[in-house]
Amino acid sequence: MSDALRPLAPWGVAALVLAVLPFIFASGAALTVMNQMAITIIFALAYNMLLGQGGMLSFGHAVYMGLGGFFCVHLMNWVEYDNLWLPLPLLPLFGGLFGLFFAMIVGTFSTRRAGTVFAMISLGVGELIAACSIIVVAFFGGEEGVSGDRTMGPTVFGLDFASQQEVYYLSAIWLMISAAAMYLYSRTPAGRMANAVRDNEERAEFLGYSQRKVRFMSFCASGFFAGIAGALFAINFEILTEENLNLATSGSVLLITFLGGAGFFIGPIIGAIVFTLLQTVLSLYTEIWQLYLGILFVATVMFFPSGLTGLIAIHFRPYHLGKISVLTKPYALIALPALGLALASASVLEIAFHARHAALGDEQMSLFGLSFNSHHPLPLIAALALGALCIWLLRRQLPSFREAWDEANYAGGPS
Amino acid sequence: MSAPAAIELEGLSKSFGRVEIIRDVTLAIAKGERHAIIGPNGAGKSTLFNLITGKYHPTDGRVRLNGEAVDQLKPYEINRRGLSRSFQITNIFPRMSVFENIRCGLLWAMEYKYSFWHLVDRQPDLTRRTEEILSEINMSDKRDTLAGVLTYAEQRALEIGITIAGGADIIMLDEPTAGMSASETEYIVGLIRKVTESKTLVVVEHDMGVVFDLADRISVLVYGEIIASDTPENVRASAAVQEAYLGTALEEEA
Amino acid sequence: MSLVLVNLLDGLVTGLLLFMLCSGLTLIFSMMGVLNFAHASFYMLGAYFGYQISTYVGFWPALLIAPVIVGVAGALVERYGLRRVHKFGHVPELIFTFGLALLIEEVVQFFWGKSQMAFEEPEILKFAAFSIAGNAFPAYKVFMIFIAVGIFLVLLYILTRTRVGLIIQAALSYPETVQNLGHNVPLVFMGVFGVGTALAGLAGVIAGPVLGTFPGMAVVLGTIVFVTIVVGGLGSLWGALAASLLIGWLQTFAASYNVTMRDVLLTLGLTEPADLATSALRDLWTLTLPQIGPILPYLLMVLVLAFRPQGLFGKRET
Repeated sequence: MSDALRPLAPWGVAALVLAVLPFIFASGAALTVMNQMAITIIFALAYNMLLGQGGMLSFGHAVYMGLGGFFCVHLMNWVEYDNLWLPLPLLPLFGGLFGLFFAMIVGTFSTRRAGTVFAMISLGVGELIAACSIIVVAFFGGEEGVSGDRTMGPTVFGLDFASQQEVYYLSAIWLMISAAAMYLYSRTPAGRMANAVRDNEERAEFLGYSQRKVRFMSFCASGFFAGIAGALFAINFEILTEENLNLATSGSVLLITFLGGAGFFIGPIIGAIVFTLLQTVLSLYTEIWQLYLGILFVATVMFFPSGLTGLIAIHFRPYHLGKISVLTKPYALIALPALGLALASASVLEIAFHARHAALGDEQMSLFGLSFNSHHPLPLIAALALGALCIWLLRRQLPSFREAWDEANYAGGPS
Repeated sequence: MSAPAAIELEGLSKSFGRVEIIRDVTLAIAKGERHAIIGPNGAGKSTLFNLITGKYHPTDGRVRLNGEAVDQLKPYEINRRGLSRSFQITNIFPRMSVFENIRCGLLWAMEYKYSFWHLVDRQPDLTRRTEEILSEINMSDKRDTLAGVLTYAEQRALEIGITIAGGADIIMLDEPTAGMSASETEYIVGLIRKVTESKTLVVVEHDMGVVFDLADRISVLVYGEIIASDTPENVRASAAVQEAYLGTALEEEA
Repeated sequence: MSLVLVNLLDGLVTGLLLFMLCSGLTLIFSMMGVLNFAHASFYMLGAYFGYQISTYVGFWPALLIAPVIVGVAGALVERYGLRRVHKFGHVPELIFTFGLALLIEEVVQFFWGKSQMAFEEPEILKFAAFSIAGNAFPAYKVFMIFIAVGIFLVLLYILTRTRVGLIIQAALSYPETVQNLGHNVPLVFMGVFGVGTALAGLAGVIAGPVLGTFPGMAVVLGTIVFVTIVVGGLGSLWGALAASLLIGWLQTFAASYNVTMRDVLLTLGLTEPADLATSALRDLWTLTLPQIGPILPYLLMVLVLAFRPQGLFGKRET
């Protein structure tokens, strides 16, 4: 491959994967999950323009996605009832512009400072608009939200977007466009200086750049792409409610971005995919999946602040040194007790939860294919014992694992 | 005098609360001059620096840059008028490569400003100019190293590189050799001499050897006041300076 | 007039309750530079612990024990969580406390479920202390006022009259220099965090019976608390007090005066559009003050940020 084409390779692969996916996962449920993923990826990438690229922590970014979405539902309704001519595939552009518009208003006062103050303002503005959604019924539709019908617009190449699959491809194309645009933005002077201001705002000012204006630009760009995500949400679900604006949604995008790794461009993408899968799968099997997510999130912040992508990235050095094989055996040795510990901990939580909350008289529960009485102490003791055993095994493996890790990262020959 | 001075301070004062750190400083630094500011610890050298570069605004008095009053401007506005500074504590972008550090210093000066339609990697002029500066500060081989992992002396050299990158006419360096060994100091002084050729240089420095080696003119700041501003020879000979400062400084060195 | 008096008292209760949270939050922020997003979650823990303990030993012992447990939990969080994250910087610290808030909400639901607890004020305070023009004022609210004022006086005493208070004051005025004081700074941090969260826990115990003990109580009050300290000026205790009372009264008065926007607009000489049901401005014409009440604190915050970015009493530019 020539050098000029090399940077394009990941994009080509991504486009190919997006094109092929519906043939592998063709069911309606799978398409719904994939659409959800595409929307979440765009939103998380937009969010990371603030958090990762610009060092701005927002607790209210759902607002820009939500506003873009609400606006697009109204656009769909105008198309349906008021003869507005607007092909559906262009809708995300207008959602983006609406998000941009509000970001420009809020950004004028919120980007004065980064850090804590920015975070508090974003929270206050986010709550303000979420609270307004109950009051301003004409735009937000009150408690029940606003809904529309995406199929009423002019057809494009004979497509009316009634099927999930057509919506999927529309989302996928907008995903590629948005991701590419956000990546390219990070390579422009405005994008580079966003990094510079994040790392050292004082130095950036003495190089001729106003930190406030650099942040303002990142904020607006982020609002634009969040609006695009909102528009795709509107197209996909045809309804928006207060839930699209509130703190829970703003919080989950922070969680997704941080889990994936805010320091990497690809971090939010990995975070969105993993989070959507976890959410879908875990919520099928357990009622307390949000507890697991909470534990995972806090553990990530404390122990792996560079996120999942960071965990992958630290293996590049051993890989480039040709020593990745040094790690195979230690990983295999800790894999089993680590898995055992995770299962044991989950069992303790599940048993305790069932014992406390199951309906009166319902004492039978099943876990990992086993059926037993949750009120009996034996299962709990068994789970605790398994956990203790695994911790003991892990502690035994730890020194040799650490040794192997140092060895794998050591540039010289066998030390 | 026909052309205005590069930097002109007129009755400059700065108080923090009730404490007056800079008192009625008046000073003119001509274009192309190499000017050093010396003085004992706590004399207000860094404060004076921060007043000139817009980090602080004066309580009273004027700062003029090439004849234009700049004392109410923001740091970035002053930078755009052709003044660039370095910091006493190393102030670089630690999570960026050496190359990117220098490039950040170039962006504004090369008119890229807040552009979001140029790709920085596709600008041959930008890349070429960055590489020229890298070779000027002898760091071409560190091109792709993260700035945060450089040695202290390398970081100081990089900081000077960032400072001069934009091509500012007035360069202000705040203790460029602080914390360096003798050989490192010698190297940095040579570097400063080279990269500030034909520019106005203002430097705050503790190392008397460096000061007398580098400067055309020296101002002595004691308790926020300038007690002398003259050629190195005259400053060295001045009884007032001897009494107020140099004596103790030389004793310290001995 | 009597309604004004009732509202003044009710607003005072809300405002003082807010201040019990804001004071701890402000102390922690000023000393450690970290805004504890989970502060209201400790308030919620206080309410739940208070409820659980009161089912065993009654309300009064719970009032003492629950805040202590919350404070110990807070100190442990500082020691083993926050201190670890501290080295990554303020933004990760804030993210950590945010994650902690999520986690505490889930843990509370894990133990107590999603429904509201039957946490009630003690029998001995279930009477009307006095009545103003037919409006009974419950004794429990009088008790809340006394507790809050008492806490305020104790804080004031500690801050102005004791050695620890002097250190804290120094830290409030000169946040950078507290490190150089030569005191055991980590221990002071842990103590301040513990005391701050214990105050939040105490607020939770006394507010639980009145405002309800349910998993959403942290979010409901939490965002208002943050708004309050931004309005008051980050790091200013007096600002926190003023803003707490201001917002307490703002909400109480807004909730009890049924001023409609329609009357305001008509008074201004505007005419009501004939097609009100479909007009885009219909919300404007049908708004009432009690409806706007909940968003007033946020509006206040935006206004303060636009016209006085350092907050009402803040000295530092935010």
